[in-house]
Amino acid sequence: MSGGLKGTEIVVKCLKEENVKNIFGFPGGQLIPLYDQLFEETDIRNILVRHEQGAAHAADGYARASGEPGVCMATSGPGATNLITGLLNATMDSIPVVAFTAQVPTKAIGTDAFQEADTFGITMPITKHNFLVKSTDHLSWTIKGAFKIANTGRKGAVVIDLPNDVQQKTSKEYHHGEVKFAGYNPSIVPNPLQLKRIAQKLVEAERPLILAGGGVILANASEDLRILAEYLGAGVATTLMGKGAIPENHPLSLGMVGMHGRLGANKMINNCDVLFVIGCRFSDRTTGWGLESFAPDAVKIHCDIDSSELNKNITVDFPLVGDANLVIKDLIKFIKKYEDVKKDTNIWRKRVNQLHGMCEECETIKPNGKLTPENIIKTINDFLDDNAIVTTEVGQNQMFAAHYYVTKKPRQFISSGGLGTMGFGFPAAIGAKVAKPDSQVLDIAGDGSFLMVCQELATAMAENIPVVVAILNNSFLGMVRQWQELFWDKRYSGTKLGTIPDFVKLAESFGAYGERVEKASDIEKALKNAFDSGVVSVLDFKIESETNILPMIPPGGRIIGRIFV
Amino acid sequence: MSTQIISVLVEDEAGSLTRMSGMFSRRGINIHSLTVSPSEKEGMSRMTIVTTGDEREIEKIEKQLNKLIEVVKVNILDKNTSVVRDLCLLKVYADKENRAEVLEIANAFKSNIVDISIRTITLEITADPLDIDRFVETMKNFGIKELFRTGVTAISRDIEKKSGG
Ligand SMILES: Cc1ncc(C[n+]2csc(CCOP(=O)(O)OP(=O)(O)O)c2C)c(N)n1
Repeated sequence: MSGGLKGTEIVVKCLKEENVKNIFGFPGGQLIPLYDQLFEETDIRNILVRHEQGAAHAADGYARASGEPGVCMATSGPGATNLITGLLNATMDSIPVVAFTAQVPTKAIGTDAFQEADTFGITMPITKHNFLVKSTDHLSWTIKGAFKIANTGRKGAVVIDLPNDVQQKTSKEYHHGEVKFAGYNPSIVPNPLQLKRIAQKLVEAERPLILAGGGVILANASEDLRILAEYLGAGVATTLMGKGAIPENHPLSLGMVGMHGRLGANKMINNCDVLFVIGCRFSDRTTGWGLESFAPDAVKIHCDIDSSELNKNITVDFPLVGDANLVIKDLIKFIKKYEDVKKDTNIWRKRVNQLHGMCEECETIKPNGKLTPENIIKTINDFLDDNAIVTTEVGQNQMFAAHYYVTKKPRQFISSGGLGTMGFGFPAAIGAKVAKPDSQVLDIAGDGSFLMVCQELATAMAENIPVVVAILNNSFLGMVRQWQELFWDKRYSGTKLGTIPDFVKLAESFGAYGERVEKASDIEKALKNAFDSGVVSVLDFKIESETNILPMIPPGGRIIGRIFV
Repeated sequence: MSTQIISVLVEDEAGSLTRMSGMFSRRGINIHSLTVSPSEKEGMSRMTIVTTGDEREIEKIEKQLNKLIEVVKVNILDKNTSVVRDLCLLKVYADKENRAEVLEIANAFKSNIVDISIRTITLEITADPLDIDRFVETMKNFGIKELFRTGVTAISRDIEKKSGG
């Protein structure tokens, strides 16, 4: 038969049309055809990870840093199931990831063949959408559709399950142009009438507060958000995912709200008269548990790209569906028209500026030159340049980073928000570094989290991806230990890790750079050594084992209730 | 909390039924019945879902359904302006002594006799689900051997607009 393309040729052609430059993957029997196709491919970098979870997280980190969809691939059965955590992680944080999974040949599906898994069924509830491609004829349509779904509306992970024969057969069918779905047409243009009402409420506010979530970053709306805040004199608090939506050294920035949020940010949420929430889904980590006491006196405005988030967790006065970028741009236009009725917000602005300057909780932890998480991260702040990207693991390290790392630009703070996945930060850092090779990339890690994915040191070495892992090593699963200390009578069941392994030797065994740090005065030098080494590095910061991250709203508490400081 | 009928037009894709029912279970929503059938549009099926919830809950379900890629249209049917039907096949014990009584009631409910054996009668009834509930309750007095219901299907009535003079 002449003409037509092999399935794997179609995959590569589509990837090029989608402008994919990097894939993170791990091969296996059923995926050999696609790997073979990529063997001599020069336009697409094929990065071999050492565990499929690393591939999914790296694709996720790549997407967060670049704003472009991340791509990963895995073989059938165990390869596909190893991707699961990473796919849900991306979906929960609305990150565009497209995953190719191999499948047994179509005629073997349903026979419990070797390495057969019902990937389509397993990934259905954890992705934005998924496909099982049963014929090579449908392949190009499916791939283009998958990229469209992953990267439009509320973004998320999409899986394409590729049976071995579908990869190998040829087809003359090739879909050109955009793929259209009868039932998928995300509405991103905000309703002008509702916008007008919201603009009126905002100019009437004497104590306006903006709560920005990850949606602002995903929509690339940060610059306009700052303009809006300055115009209104509004304080800007963020969620964990929204960190970087406003430069955190900006005088209107109040930092993160919520369970581990800053006292000032939480306080101001409850003192504002108009609360403008954008690109945020009111997760329980943001609101605390007493939903009715979240900004009780404020007129609440909620804008999100996903209409199902409106009035889901919190009932608001003004819901609005729309892309954060369009919403904020239009609001600025409308608000300027109401110049003459705009309330004076100077008193409020001064309070915001004051709270911005005095991070209350920082004062309760006395720096005194010790090797504390605070000192380490403050030194990291000074050391890194303005284009640096910081990722985190999960646990105390994540919350220390959220508090003390001053994020100056969007897409430069990368953390697992919705799923809270230990082991995300390191592979995500690898993905971010691939996306932004000229940026410094540093993972603020915990010893427990890093150990879950440390095999990716091999990936970073082999592929020459020099990121730096800064372990806040407390020899515990610190965050769980903290809960046990505060709420479970200090019964440290299952949380003591001890001093295993020797992280420096571990790093060195991969050919990576490793250094142990025991004194605050050595932090900066160690950072310099790591970044100068030119290879992936592990800095083992030996912090006190029973340090706590405070303030903290106890489980079941509300953001203005009892707080541990 | 009231019973609600949701009519959903979906693209015929492998897995769209699973995706739909998966959404309900993941969000902790109970489904009373779910029927799937071809629709007037080629390549699309109609699913009729009966669930309970107040207005807010139904609105949430509607939004979640709309998020599914295969879902083309979601309609919350107003019971007052819709025709709602369920089909029931019921095998009831009927011996010499009560056979006449069973048939009398069957007749009163306008059900059809579809099979008769020495000890049982099988009846078929298509009606509003609430009528079927009453029918089944009554038949319980004789002892029900087997009961099958298809689940609810429903269609909205066309309300004629008065043409203004
Ligand atoms: C994959 C995974 N398993 C378990 C948890 C539950 N968990 C949350 S924080 C935490 C401790 C993290 O320990 P470590 O990485 O050492 O960080 P630290 O809190 O000490 O900074 C655990 C076990 C999780 N978030 N993710």
